[in-house]
Amino acid sequence: MAFDAAGGITILFGQSGSGKTTTLRTIAGIITPDSGRISIGEEVYFDAARGTNLSIQKRRVGYVFQDYALFPHMTAAQNIAYGIKDKDVPGPPRRERAQAMLRLFKIEHVANRYPQNMSGGEQQRTALARALASDPAVVLLDEPLSAVDGETRARLIDEVVAVQDRVKIPFIYVTHNVDEAIRLGTQIVVLHEGGVKQIGRPGEVFRP
Amino acid sequence: MIWEPLKLSLLVVTVATAIIATLGLALGLLLAKGRFRGQELLASFFTLPLVLPPTVSGYYLIVLLGRHGLIGEPLYNLTGWSIAFTWQAAVIAAVVLALPLMVLSARAAIESVNPQFEIASYTLGKSWLATFFLITLPLARRGILAGIVLSFTRALGEFGATFMLAGNIPGRTQTMPLAIYEAVISGEDKRAQVLALILTGISVGAVYLTSKLTKGAIRY
Repeated sequence: MAFDAAGGITILFGQSGSGKTTTLRTIAGIITPDSGRISIGEEVYFDAARGTNLSIQKRRVGYVFQDYALFPHMTAAQNIAYGIKDKDVPGPPRRERAQAMLRLFKIEHVANRYPQNMSGGEQQRTALARALASDPAVVLLDEPLSAVDGETRARLIDEVVAVQDRVKIPFIYVTHNVDEAIRLGTQIVVLHEGGVKQIGRPGEVFRP
Repeated sequence: MIWEPLKLSLLVVTVATAIIATLGLALGLLLAKGRFRGQELLASFFTLPLVLPPTVSGYYLIVLLGRHGLIGEPLYNLTGWSIAFTWQAAVIAAVVLALPLMVLSARAAIESVNPQFEIASYTLGKSWLATFFLITLPLARRGILAGIVLSFTRALGEFGATFMLAGNIPGRTQTMPLAIYEAVISGEDKRAQVLALILTGISVGAVYLTSKLTKGAIRY
């Protein structure tokens, strides 16, 4: 299993059991692999040979879970502000930074709402906003649109592309949906039974 | 006399519950999150007073803390103070007997929190400790509160082990349950009645509160 994710959106594509989510969790530091190396730019997150294994907290990874994992006892604004470190924010305080996120994702109207009272699309946007607010070096998304219906899904796909284009942080996006892969991906990494089967551009990988 | 046992019970139970709440929460957390060898053995050890006859627990407490106990004797030789027959002994008896309820409740409440939330908190840069206070505790709040109420009630009603380690000294260690026993055997029906009513009232209130806290436990 080896791949590089440069700019844009890298799709981890494959059927269930192919190891897509496991790979994501490994990058985040939730799972520790037996061997290998994970690095982002100059920073080495994991190196089995050298015994380097950065904790989840130390890795600058934004994670959007499949069911979003929005804290149910916090409002959207509080969820988004959660990962913002006070010392990292020089000028505007955390609240304003969270407000800016709400504006960027057009979810200001749910700022004071709890996750249970939000639609699937609003939850997804809040989850992505929360991940980005923590100033990550890479954003990992685990099938974030699987619980959303077709119409909203198409709209959200465009939003994800737009957001990534704006923040210029690499996204690693897991999906088993060909349509999503083609529309989102700059690069597709096809996984099969825990290993990389193919890497290429959407046009090369998904030939009609 | 109603006032004296009532005052004593209040003192003993307040101190005991404060100890039980913190110790029980810590142990519940350890057992819920820990992955170490002998974990279930530790859990069984702390659950033992729940199933052991209270007088047996009292016996072991005497063996440990009595005037000639394993800890009691060196303590007496060192300070000239013996814990037996003091209100502090009543507190210890209450803690030992009621702690299991708190540990079980706290462990279950913490285990019921979806680990996904805690992992999300880690990815957002929060430490293990910060996550416990910001995420786990608030989400496990109801079960933990129910545990506190239950152990409070158990501590309030502690009789057997208290009798053995603290004795039944009016004004010093005669808590309400002991006072009722005393009143019944000496034929003071009125006194027994009033004390029993007070304890029943508190217990009913506690049971009601517990059921409200644990009912409709929101599944996140």
